[in-house]
Amino acid sequence: METKEPEQDRPFRDLVSQLAVVIRTSQLHNPANEAVVTAIEKMIPLINGLLEDESSIQVELVGEYFYVNENRVKFTMEHLLNFDFLQKEFAKRSVGSISFLCPVAVENIQNFLSVFIACQYAPDPYEALVAGLAQEKCIDPGVVRRISVDGEHDLRRAVKKTYFNAVSFTKGVMNKLKAGERVNIKKAKRIVESMVDLLLDREEFLLGMTAIKNYDEYTFHHSVNVSILSVALGQKIGLSKKDLMELGLAALFHDIGKTEIPPLILNKPTSFTDEEWNVLKGHPVHGVRMIFRMKSFDDSSIRAAIVAYEHHMHQDHSGYPGIKKLKDLDLYSRIVSLADQYDGMTSSRVYARVPMTPDKALSLMSKRAGVQLDPLLFKFFINLVGVYPIGSLIMLDTRELAVISGVNNGDFQRPKMILITDGEGNKITPVAASLTEKDGLGRYTRNVMRTLDPVKYKINIAEYLL
Amino acid sequence: MKAEPQPADIKAAQDVIASFQKARKSLRMYPSNNPIYVRTIEDVFRRLDNILEIGPLELGVRQNEILFGDTPVYAASGMEDNLAFFFFKDGLREISFKSGLTLEETREFLEAISQDSGMDEDIVTLLWEKDLEHIKYVIDENFLLEDETYETEAVLHAREETTPEEDLKRAHSEAFSSSTPMSAPEIVPLSSADFEELMREVRLDSADKLIKLISILFDILSDCQPALYPEVAGIIKSALEHSIRKGDLSSALGIFSAMDAVPPEGPVSDLLKKEMKKVQAHASSLELVKELGAHLDSGQIRDEEMLIDYVRRLDSSAIASLIAVLGDLKTMEARKTIMNALAFLGSKDLNALAKGLSDPRWYVVRNIIHIFRKMEDRRCVDFVIKASRHSDVRVRIEVIRALGELGGQGVIQTVRDALDDSEFSVRSSAARALGMLKTEPSRMILMQHMAGKDFMQADFNEKKEFFEVLSGWNSPESEAYMIKCLRAGSLFHKGRTDELKACAAYALGLMGAKNALPLLHKLRDSKNKTISDYAFNAIKRIEYGN
Ligand SMILES: [Fe+2]
Ligand SMILES: [Fe+2]
Repeated sequence: METKEPEQDRPFRDLVSQLAVVIRTSQLHNPANEAVVTAIEKMIPLINGLLEDESSIQVELVGEYFYVNENRVKFTMEHLLNFDFLQKEFAKRSVGSISFLCPVAVENIQNFLSVFIACQYAPDPYEALVAGLAQEKCIDPGVVRRISVDGEHDLRRAVKKTYFNAVSFTKGVMNKLKAGERVNIKKAKRIVESMVDLLLDREEFLLGMTAIKNYDEYTFHHSVNVSILSVALGQKIGLSKKDLMELGLAALFHDIGKTEIPPLILNKPTSFTDEEWNVLKGHPVHGVRMIFRMKSFDDSSIRAAIVAYEHHMHQDHSGYPGIKKLKDLDLYSRIVSLADQYDGMTSSRVYARVPMTPDKALSLMSKRAGVQLDPLLFKFFINLVGVYPIGSLIMLDTRELAVISGVNNGDFQRPKMILITDGEGNKITPVAASLTEKDGLGRYTRNVMRTLDPVKYKINIAEYLL
Repeated sequence: MKAEPQPADIKAAQDVIASFQKARKSLRMYPSNNPIYVRTIEDVFRRLDNILEIGPLELGVRQNEILFGDTPVYAASGMEDNLAFFFFKDGLREISFKSGLTLEETREFLEAISQDSGMDEDIVTLLWEKDLEHIKYVIDENFLLEDETYETEAVLHAREETTPEEDLKRAHSEAFSSSTPMSAPEIVPLSSADFEELMREVRLDSADKLIKLISILFDILSDCQPALYPEVAGIIKSALEHSIRKGDLSSALGIFSAMDAVPPEGPVSDLLKKEMKKVQAHASSLELVKELGAHLDSGQIRDEEMLIDYVRRLDSSAIASLIAVLGDLKTMEARKTIMNALAFLGSKDLNALAKGLSDPRWYVVRNIIHIFRKMEDRRCVDFVIKASRHSDVRVRIEVIRALGELGGQGVIQTVRDALDDSEFSVRSSAARALGMLKTEPSRMILMQHMAGKDFMQADFNEKKEFFEVLSGWNSPESEAYMIKCLRAGSLFHKGRTDELKACAAYALGLMGAKNALPLLHKLRDSKNKTISDYAFNAIKRIEYGN
């Protein structure tokens, strides 16, 4: 019997990876350069080999995944750099796929590369790519597969449903724990799984939900937000689906110890006394206890307990609880700390604090990176949320105001937005736009001048994002 | 796939599901390297592969039925082994297999459905984690739904306050008149060095999490209110159980060494120590010691030194647990290790170890005696003697051997009695035991026995063995006795006397008794072939040393 080896998708993975190498090398050297040719020569047998069994080979980017002839290419951490790079190169040019229709030689790839590199400076890179490859019979670019308007609508509805379901579940869990009732942990896993799926599908939709900060019940929303932000960061650093679930679960329960803090302290509208602070600082320890009240011992509860205990400890151990023997913080604790700080700072909490704008929060966090926060993970985090994170209120050089609504994978400096006023500052029916849009001369239509604090002007972001 | 399934398809679908059920049994029964395990998966794969050549296989799931189109292809009732319910209970409503399915995916699928549905696992989570490209499923969304009104209310609340136009206007005018600089940090693009550093960090992080949690738990314990001791100690107990169930001795040892750090004095410490004792008692329970045994049998735990290190931390109730487990072990290696562990613990509580002597399994009793024997501690004699009348001869032999090795006044009587045992092997062991003791009294007992009537009746091998033991003393008395035997002549029992002569010749040879040479030379010419042979060999031995 023919046994297919588990590594059967290996040629696909190698092809995607090598395509990234070829493109990167040709950005540094001209296509005739020896380094480029060597890289191309490594890629050609991969393409032509696959073409022996298939009539064409298509490398396609859909959501966060690459597909080769409809097969999703699973990748491990070693491929992260190449995959991440290729994803951005595709996004920059609005390219959805590249197909190889017949066996190729070095010259075919060199032609492709010169067009591919040059087209990114054209006003419409994709159009330029298609035009430049008109003579190249064997290589064919394809557009980004757009989700239909209906599909997008459905997805947004699914996102909202999943988000609020997670919040109300968290509320239920915390109330049950307080009442000493049993908690269904299976369901928690399933809820995190659905969040992971949505993040892998269209990251920005669920991330957008975390930007709305004026909900009633801070603790529950905060738990879900931290879970979403952590999983999104985990995904950026290449964690597997199973790991993402464990991370998401740990993040969801990071503040579970707050169920043991008297509500009078937790919801106190004024600032805390020293004694109250000390009570509040007990929540990481209570968190460990609560985790094991909910869940029997296994890998995921062990990690969740560690995260609950360490999430305020800080990388430099300046936080709490203080411990005698200093140990490095767990990777998940470091991720959750970032997500926790970001969400906490940008939220309007019960106690007398005004939420910070996302960019202020990020700049404060950047000062803490290397001290309290893991600097490397912070770098990934800022690449995740962008300079203008979703929910930022921005002022454009066209004198319009807009709310950031999503990230553009190809260009983190230029996210998607919703215009909310005209040039005179009159409120308009919201219009979706992107900072990557260019005019006929290849100049950006709109540029950010600065961010504004929506709270200061009572601007309700939720009106535009929900 | 066609709307109306063809009869042949229905049959194939039924067969596939039957093969799933069969696979669930086999996969639960055999380890993954067993040929049956492997073949079962291949069989299911072949069936699926055949069906998928025509098109995808889509199955509907109901509580007690699996449907192919509208046709039930599987039906069951009750919860026991109900495949439909197994999927249904976790909200799975449809499952489909796409062409391109691999053997590996088939294996992962079958392993997922063969899991004993534990408390925290569900089939949807298992399939989700495995992320199988050619096996898709549909879940009933309502299954996860918490509170439907929550979303509506939260959205309403969040959007309640629409932004007033004049506020927007004010924001606009202020924004364009202010010159506050941007506070956003710059985005540094990720470099390949960042990715490499990241990989290093992730690799470093993969170290054992349990060890870390254990140290956290003890940190908590050292700092928390005494009211929390029982709960935290309870978690430590679970951590210990978890590590033993995984066969992870080093984490379990980590728990015990952390316990050492508990402050030795003070009122708080007493409370704490009480809790730690509970943890230790749990580790010593039959339940956990059984797990230990299973891991020893399977080879998961190999490091005997570590095991002994662990066992020395248990309390004396562990002795009973270890004894109970000892009888169930399948491999020699595991038995040896547990016996060494018992020897260690038992030496601190001989009474507890001696309870094993009343175990109904003879081999357990023998093992316990063996442990006593290896302890080389005379205090063991009294316990060992208790088993001297055990119904199984193998136990009695071990008893006598042990007594011979342990020695002392106390053993003599029992060994002497064993010389009259109904079994030759016991009598011979008794003789050897006397030889081991090598005291004057023991020699006298032996010679007395050899002089008895019963001994004359014993067969040649027994006699020879007794003489051999006697030769071990190499004393004038034994030599004299043997020479006397060589001389002996008798009209009666000639055969028996001749046997004695041969045995005496043999024993004198072993002793190298030069005094016996004249007599031996004489016997060299004996008509009795056995006597002459033995005499000849003895002479050779005495004169040439071989
Ligand atoms: Fe917290
Ligand atoms: Fe938090």
